[in-house]
Amino acid sequence: MNTVLRHTARRIGTSLLVLFGVSVLIFAIARVIPGDPARVALGPNAKQEQVDQLRAAMFLDEPVVAQYGHFLSGLARGDLGVSLYTNRPVMTDIADFLPATLELVLVSGVMMIAIGLPLGILSARYRGRWPDHVIRVISLLGVSAPAFVWAVVLMLLFAFYLPLFPIAGRLHDSFDIPRVTGFLTIDTAIAGNWAAFGDAWRHLALPAFALALSGIGQAARLTRANMIETYEKPYIEMAQAYGWPEKRIANRYAFKPSLIPSLTIIGLDFAALLGNAFLVEAVFGWPGLSRYGVNVILRKDLNAIVGTVLIISAMFILVNIIVDILTVILNPRIRKADAR
Amino acid sequence: MTLVLNIRDLQLAFKSWSGTSEVLHGISLTIGKGERVALVGESGSGKSVTARIVLGLLQELRGVQISGSVEFQGQDLGAMPDRERRALRGTAMSMIFQDPTSSLNPVFKIAPQFQEVLARVTPGISMSATRVRATDLLREVAIAEPERVLDSYPFQLSGGMNQRVMIAMALANRPALLLADEPGTALDVTVQAQTLDLMRALVTDHGTSVLFISHNLGVVREFADRTYVIYRGNIVEEGPTRDVFENPGHPYTRALMAAQPKITGGGLPDLVEGDRHYLEPRFVHEGVA
Repeated sequence: MNTVLRHTARRIGTSLLVLFGVSVLIFAIARVIPGDPARVALGPNAKQEQVDQLRAAMFLDEPVVAQYGHFLSGLARGDLGVSLYTNRPVMTDIADFLPATLELVLVSGVMMIAIGLPLGILSARYRGRWPDHVIRVISLLGVSAPAFVWAVVLMLLFAFYLPLFPIAGRLHDSFDIPRVTGFLTIDTAIAGNWAAFGDAWRHLALPAFALALSGIGQAARLTRANMIETYEKPYIEMAQAYGWPEKRIANRYAFKPSLIPSLTIIGLDFAALLGNAFLVEAVFGWPGLSRYGVNVILRKDLNAIVGTVLIISAMFILVNIIVDILTVILNPRIRKADAR
Repeated sequence: MTLVLNIRDLQLAFKSWSGTSEVLHGISLTIGKGERVALVGESGSGKSVTARIVLGLLQELRGVQISGSVEFQGQDLGAMPDRERRALRGTAMSMIFQDPTSSLNPVFKIAPQFQEVLARVTPGISMSATRVRATDLLREVAIAEPERVLDSYPFQLSGGMNQRVMIAMALANRPALLLADEPGTALDVTVQAQTLDLMRALVTDHGTSVLFISHNLGVVREFADRTYVIYRGNIVEEGPTRDVFENPGHPYTRALMAAQPKITGGGLPDLVEGDRHYLEPRFVHEGVA
């Protein structure tokens, strides 16, 4: 396990560098977009003095390098500036919206892995027979249609025609749950309000599934392809020649070697859910960070853009670190090579 | 003598969209109890598919046509339901593969793989019981530190070590028949010789019958009691190994012998591809008109 720890420390170190690079890039790009943020914020009727005043308050009259300096010193204090769109500190906005998105993305990611991988295993094990054909059609549908199409279809089918799930939002208005973590599935449990707990999950089900569908398809296809390759390996023939149970060969001896190459891509798909979440959040009226991010970009709300992108990048990097650690844990060759 | 394996007029063809390709044209082969029999031939002659039919691996593929009979310990494998045929694998018969290192799963340690092997005869065997039994079996194949080997991944062991592990696994459940498909061809010659000696000593001890598949005549001469020479899906010559080697009757066998590199030089002889005479068997199979 020592190797894993060392590996993790090294990855976190390089990730901080990446995060720094991202911050510079986003900071620069946000300032290259045409249009004066102060003017956009104050509207066309504001006087020029007012606009100048706001520009000075936001350090927009200083050179870009100096602006970046202000941004860094603010960041060190946990201050990302004030959003011109909501007139609140960006940190507060993020703290408000991030849990909703994270909750959606995490549940969706769990669905992607818990449904996608077993489908891939079944498909490879029954290659060329009917379970394989059915699963391949399902995964192709998942991969080929974007998440918002599934969001609309699922909403129509299971919230409108068959009112099994609520149409939009995170929780029914009648529940009043004190905010602790911002994750409603956790907060309702803390409050001990089990009716609200169930309601929060029912609200989550459709958007999370819509968001997960393409990932499920992707994970199933990838697992199938890698496992079919593994099935050609001599060690699988040996397992079959020795009469090991087919189910055990599939779930264990063919699956584990196949998971290692799939893992990186599944990790990227997981991180991509953060971006795709916007469309699903829009369809289901989910008050999340992705929706917030698009609104502030349209408003040219500099502080909020930089803050949002930074948080999303940090999530991406975090997922990548987790994938890397898992790869090291799963692949004895890397683990042992490092130990030497 | 009771026959462990009795193959009669075995024919095999692969069917694909482009047509049928015949691979075995009716071969017959017998192995008695405790007998070591070699099946010798060049690549593509049908040696390996014969072993896979005996194990029942080919029967489960699509587009495979098999006729003739394969009797194992008096039971007709063709008439057996899949379940029963599978039950023989890894218990009454087992196999050693060409490349030991790639025949062991790279992401599992030796111990859990041993557990699966032993579980064929002792279902649900515990890890501690596995270790006790595996330690004995690994000692049998002259592995000095069985504990370390059990806790290693295959890539941490040498090819020769992996080959010993394979032999230990193959003989773990005391099979009646061992199929050895070009064992150790991927290893260097000295290690190959060591592990083959070991294998011979063990099968002699346990009275295991062996179908030894090889293109390496030197090895066959050392190892086998009887030899079958296979060429393009036909058995062209059969007899006690010594006779076949000292007095090869069939032109293909003679060509095969001449193709062995000699330390005295002389280069490789011309081996006429598909010589008409190679396809004329030296003897007529019983039961085949």
